[in-house]
Amino acid sequence: MQVHFDFTQCGFLRPNAVVFLGGLVRIINDRGGKARLDVSTMQQGVRANLEINGFAYAMGANLSPWKGNSIPYREDSFQDENGIVEYLKKNWLGRGWINISPNLMNAIASQMWEIYTNAFDHSGSGVGVLSCGQYFPKRRELVLAVADFGVGIPSNVRIHKEDPILSGKCAMQWAFTRGTSTAKKLGPRGMGLDLLKEFIRVSQGGLAIYSHDGYARITKDGEFYQDLPVFFEGTLVQVTLRCDDIYYSLSNEADPAPYF
Amino acid sequence: MEHIKVKKLIGENAMTLDDGEVLFRQIHELLIRGETVELDFDGVEIFATPFFNAGIGRLLADLQPEILKAHLKIQHLSALGDRVLRRVIENAKEYYSSSSEHRKAIDSIVHETTATM
Repeated sequence: MQVHFDFTQCGFLRPNAVVFLGGLVRIINDRGGKARLDVSTMQQGVRANLEINGFAYAMGANLSPWKGNSIPYREDSFQDENGIVEYLKKNWLGRGWINISPNLMNAIASQMWEIYTNAFDHSGSGVGVLSCGQYFPKRRELVLAVADFGVGIPSNVRIHKEDPILSGKCAMQWAFTRGTSTAKKLGPRGMGLDLLKEFIRVSQGGLAIYSHDGYARITKDGEFYQDLPVFFEGTLVQVTLRCDDIYYSLSNEADPAPYF
Repeated sequence: MEHIKVKKLIGENAMTLDDGEVLFRQIHELLIRGETVELDFDGVEIFATPFFNAGIGRLLADLQPEILKAHLKIQHLSALGDRVLRRVIENAKEYYSSSSEHRKAIDSIVHETTATM
């Protein structure tokens, strides 16, 4: 089977589209097919973006990536925490687009790691975890997209709750309720997304998650869940950060109260 | 008293379940025996919930909070680590103290909420 990707109608590929495209190519190849990205149909901006962010190089083009306003395309087949933290700190947060202290950089990287750990722990993605980002200077926004092509959040929730007809919307809402988790190993789980949601609200950023037939969006104004009319075989998370340090405050003081 | 340098044990990023498991294995038996453990987080920069869930939250499965308060000492933990650890402990306390009925009640609240959306 050969799948031909035609970009004629495409004016720009946002990071979520780039990771989705990368995952599709890997899946097609994994299943014995052949994906062909028709560069001749790409508008100049689309092509340049895919070259800059390293996507073209990852797909086999003989082009070394450079950086521009993009955060490099990355594929991880295993949980390389040190490599991913380095990527987040150096290529995403450390490019001077956002003026934050080293402590705050560590805090944001820690929140983003929660997305990766969910992708690695829950998805069983055959093509690993794919990431890509972009800085949008006019909007002063920093975007990171992380995708896996695994079993998806609604499916995990339905199995965990033994409720095969639970809607995508309800499953997503359950997954984003404080303290819930479908993970069973090594004790209680489920606070990572709660901390991430809190961070997104306080910093007035945005979090959007597409997973199978469920969709969730978290902003400072609240949480929105809905069923998706289309089915996406995996989970795609997109985080948007505001590039003004006034939105970020982090206490440097540890709480003196006892832990237990 | 056992003094453990966490950075030496797992490195400067305390993030994964596996690293949490390493820490758990180091301290669980000592605490069960009634010994005091000092966890020194000097030099550890990044913290995430999987690490603390597997390394510390899980201790509450068979150790009472009062025992841990008296015998598990935390040193040089950054403000970030402090915030993440407190959230994990709070969740673990709820998790190990709640009955299955309570968990079902939480589930039904979620159902009712989404039904009106």
